[in-house]
Amino acid sequence: METNIDNGMARDIYLDNAATTRPDPAVLAAMARADSDCYANASTVHRMGVAAGRLIERARASVAAALGAELPEVVFTSGGTEANNLALKGAAAALADRGDHLIISAVEHPSVSRVAQALACRGLRLSIAPVDREGVVDPAAVRSLLTGRTILVSVMHANNETGAIQPLHEIAMLCRAQGALFHTDACQSFTRRPLDTRGLPADLVTVDAHKLHGPKGVGALYVRRGLRLTPLLDGGGQENGLRSGTYNTAGITGFGEAVALAMRTDAAAITTLRDRFEARLAAAIPDVRINGPVGNRLGTISSVTLPRPDAKTLLHSLSRQGIYLSAGSACAAGRTEPSQVLLAMGLAPEAALRTVRVSLSRFTTEQEVDAAADALARAVREVGG
Amino acid sequence: MIVAPETLDLSGVPCPANAARALLRLEGMDPGSLLRIIVDDGEPVLNVPPALEQEGHALLSKEPDAGRWVLLLRRG
Ligand SMILES: Cc1ncc(COP(=O)(O)O)c(C=O)c1O
Repeated sequence: METNIDNGMARDIYLDNAATTRPDPAVLAAMARADSDCYANASTVHRMGVAAGRLIERARASVAAALGAELPEVVFTSGGTEANNLALKGAAAALADRGDHLIISAVEHPSVSRVAQALACRGLRLSIAPVDREGVVDPAAVRSLLTGRTILVSVMHANNETGAIQPLHEIAMLCRAQGALFHTDACQSFTRRPLDTRGLPADLVTVDAHKLHGPKGVGALYVRRGLRLTPLLDGGGQENGLRSGTYNTAGITGFGEAVALAMRTDAAAITTLRDRFEARLAAAIPDVRINGPVGNRLGTISSVTLPRPDAKTLLHSLSRQGIYLSAGSACAAGRTEPSQVLLAMGLAPEAALRTVRVSLSRFTTEQEVDAAADALARAVREVGG
Repeated sequence: MIVAPETLDLSGVPCPANAARALLRLEGMDPGSLLRIIVDDGEPVLNVPPALEQEGHALLSKEPDAGRWVLLLRRG
């Protein structure tokens, strides 16, 4: 399929950035250079190995700076899913003698919630902290679930469907007081919202490259200094033994480059575009509902429940016009079950099925959000009602 | 004016990440300036000096210190 070409159709309008983003051209260039010039194994000690290792360490410094972390606290992984698996399974295995209880929020990504369920099948006790109608976890609920046997609490920083920002600081403080580890999945928020591990008592933080114009298949887990985890992968002992496997030099290089670029992005400009989209849509369709805490969510995400038709119909109708957005989360695509996140917020299943997610990036333009709002409004009107 | 050289402590950092971090630090300095680097005994003290010399930096001294080594480098 050819896209982005002038074949009489408008250019692609990509508004599915919470699923993944377009790699920045500078990222792609850095990756191509790494692949062609620094292809030696980054664990070898000859000159070419050191050159590859230099790229890895440069990327590590970039990710560490964005997290307020020390270099050894950054462990590169194959993405957000692996980092979340390492955090939960690695802590549960390493601390099996200290406890047998996990707490997660009701709106976690499947790479946290399914892992927690898998651990529960192996005998751990699992508690789910509920969210309110805006999709926000109440720290008091976490406090009431914490016990002396709680190994780890996992609450994401920003939700991938609504953008809701969670009260991490309060929850992390409760965990610290109780002696439980605190993990946060920051795949969506990384570089968009401040998350400084010097100020936030988080023990484990998941970050991801492809949500910020980096490559797919690369992420990292922040592991607080002194914390021991059981690795998922044993082998050559890379990443202080926490993640064996020959380094993905190009991918990690692209991650570092993407983070450096993202730290210079004007987040407020994207929020302005998102608000413009929502205002335009609400003016055309009075009974839209915006999901999430209006004043405290990521500026890149808009979750809107429309009066009609169902989201799948809308998605396909807009797709034919070259406008790409999402119904629920990407991982749940292909199934027409309502989003668990929206259900947890108290939406009725049929309302959840009328919900679309529009997600922006630094490449999004005013014309694009206007076109998307107009196309959605047209699609709603065409169905009548 | 004589300024005491900066120190980069690479103890506990495996090869070749130690050499890689030393190169990155040297690259950020002015040509001719000095850097003290602490490396572990064993592989690190064998691998790091030649890796830095190969990139044009000069090893001025190499002293044992409590089971580790202190290297003095001049940026090339
Ligand atoms: C909140 C969140 N966590 C984890 C992931 C999984 O990351 P990855 O696709 O890099 O495995 C995603 C997106 O895919 C996400 O949005």
